[in-house]
Amino acid sequence: MNLASAAVLAAVLALVAGVAIAMRPRGASTVDFYLAGQRVGVVTNAWAICGDYFSAASFLGVAAAVYVSGLDGVWYAVGFAAGFVPVLLFVAAPLRRFGEFSIPDFLGRRLRSEHVRLVAVGVVQLIILSYLVPQAVGSGITWQLLVGQGIGGLSPYATGVVVSTAAVAGLVACGGMRGTTWTQAVQFLLLLAALCWLATAVLGAGFDYGGAVADLSTEPLANPTAGDRGWELATEQNRLDGAATASFGEPGARYGRLGQFALIITLIMGTAGLPHVLNRYFTSPTGTAARMTTVWVLGLAGLFYALAVMLGTAARAQIPAAVPAHPWLQELTVDGVLRVPEHALPVLGRIYGGDAGLGVVAAGALVAVMSTIAGLLLAAAASWGHDVYERHINPRATQRQAVWAGRSTTMVVAFAAAGLALAMRPESLTGLLPSIVATMVTWAFALAGSALTPVFLLAIWWRGTTAAGATAGMASGAVLAVAMFVAGIRLADPGLGELLMTPTLVAAPVATAVTVLVSRRTAPPRELERLWLTLHGTAADRHAERLAQLTIRSLSRRPSRPGPDLAQR
Amino acid sequence: MAREVDEHDTPAEVDATFRTIRRVAVGYFAVFLAAVTGVPALSLTLGWWSDGRLIGGMSPAFVMAAFGLYVFFFLIGLAAATLSTAVEARMLGGPAEPEDGTGRDGSP
Repeated sequence: MNLASAAVLAAVLALVAGVAIAMRPRGASTVDFYLAGQRVGVVTNAWAICGDYFSAASFLGVAAAVYVSGLDGVWYAVGFAAGFVPVLLFVAAPLRRFGEFSIPDFLGRRLRSEHVRLVAVGVVQLIILSYLVPQAVGSGITWQLLVGQGIGGLSPYATGVVVSTAAVAGLVACGGMRGTTWTQAVQFLLLLAALCWLATAVLGAGFDYGGAVADLSTEPLANPTAGDRGWELATEQNRLDGAATASFGEPGARYGRLGQFALIITLIMGTAGLPHVLNRYFTSPTGTAARMTTVWVLGLAGLFYALAVMLGTAARAQIPAAVPAHPWLQELTVDGVLRVPEHALPVLGRIYGGDAGLGVVAAGALVAVMSTIAGLLLAAAASWGHDVYERHINPRATQRQAVWAGRSTTMVVAFAAAGLALAMRPESLTGLLPSIVATMVTWAFALAGSALTPVFLLAIWWRGTTAAGATAGMASGAVLAVAMFVAGIRLADPGLGELLMTPTLVAAPVATAVTVLVSRRTAPPRELERLWLTLHGTAADRHAERLAQLTIRSLSRRPSRPGPDLAQR
Repeated sequence: MAREVDEHDTPAEVDATFRTIRRVAVGYFAVFLAAVTGVPALSLTLGWWSDGRLIGGMSPAFVMAAFGLYVFFFLIGLAAATLSTAVEARMLGGPAEPEDGTGRDGSP
């Protein structure tokens, strides 16, 4: 790493740390630590949700998936962006109106059951860990490319994993939800700026998007694989037509008929069950604000993923021609094709912006990782600290003790994720998966969409949902999803294997059916009418809006304080 | 954390609104699902959807996956949010009645 990229990276990280420290919670209240006082505005919350959601999988992974698989990789972008439509339609407003600390807290109070709360904590922690590990892997890959050197005897990959995880855990423990909201908002804006700069540089250099897709589609798609004779390019077979080779602009490079739908449905269903994203809705002042926040997120997500897809295409089209002029590319490529597809955007940044350009993109990647890790750690802290410590371990805990329990949890979960990421070797998996980071995140989506989303939707929209039904639904969805993963990994069949690796298409209907069947045989909680009024009524929203209006009116009517000379007269 | 409900929402009002909002959400979701699964389905069934050329050299399938669907998601989200909020404002409370005696919708 040279001085320019080091300076860019240091400036970005210093800005993020400064925001976290400046916006840290002033008191020791759990509402402040976990929910930022429930006063986060629509646009700020939309930026923060984007910072939370656009992880390494979105920044590095989507471009990498497009780079490796062409149109089949674009389905990742479609699925990630589409996931917020069901959130808007079914979840955002009622979730906020019920207004709890976390997803387990919501389910526990809605269904009046501590058992449901504890089962939900288990499922949420599993989802969080599945999501955290690929983020840590992404930070290791970025450090490896950007810095290339380890610290204290660690490899560059291990150093990236340890440094980023430890830094974010420290910021979250210090800043809580208030500091994290602002750092995530700033991180998203930095991330979008990095993507926009790269897109402008690529287009400004004369990149013809449509022409590139057409040119790439005229020849068979080939990617590097490590074999007995070292690295070599292997042509991808078309999964839709076994006799043909795959093409960049047509489906079939990675998924068969069922696999494409299974991936999209998995990503759509998964978003509505992601704890770190849904927790952000509790910070909105009203249900209507939560709904409008999601509209903003949809617009920003569309812009973000459209740019990521374009840049993945640009990397595929332009890197082969750039190898002669940039000798450093030779060790990263095989006949002009990158060995690690996640390097697509950083390499593009270095081609168009030199070392400073690499610094900008790498800083964007690290920022993406850090903001998502921050959201995940906060969600973990809320469910352990609030749902387990405050409710079961120390019900008489003071606010200060509860906040410290949350802070301690962030450190433990962060180091567990870093340990798992260190145990993985990304190079060994690149030949098996379109993008290791995007694929691993998809597993988290599959678990969320299979175990949490069906129960969550039923709890919001069906009065008959019971605690026993929800417990059975979550357990069956989670067990089936994990069993299908394991079977999919062991079974190398491209057809059935695709379905098994993205199990929501099967596991979510099973979880729904189990929840409904068990709920029909058990009794819903008492006080259902009152719960329903809170969940679907808008009285609290109107009350909050009137209070805000009164506050603004009283501030505008208050006479300005006379100056010292006027007061003396 | 669950707050006390304002006395202005009655169970009957909330139930009617809940049913209307659920109908709106399911309707929009059906349109959304048709579009989001329709794009890959057309790629598998119609040759021209993947082979034809629209913008530059992109096929209709690539144009939809790379741009079109994101615009659609935003527009359907905006429409659904606007309609749901309007339904809630009309059926549940809304702004307090003005002093001139007109109702919530301006009618006397």
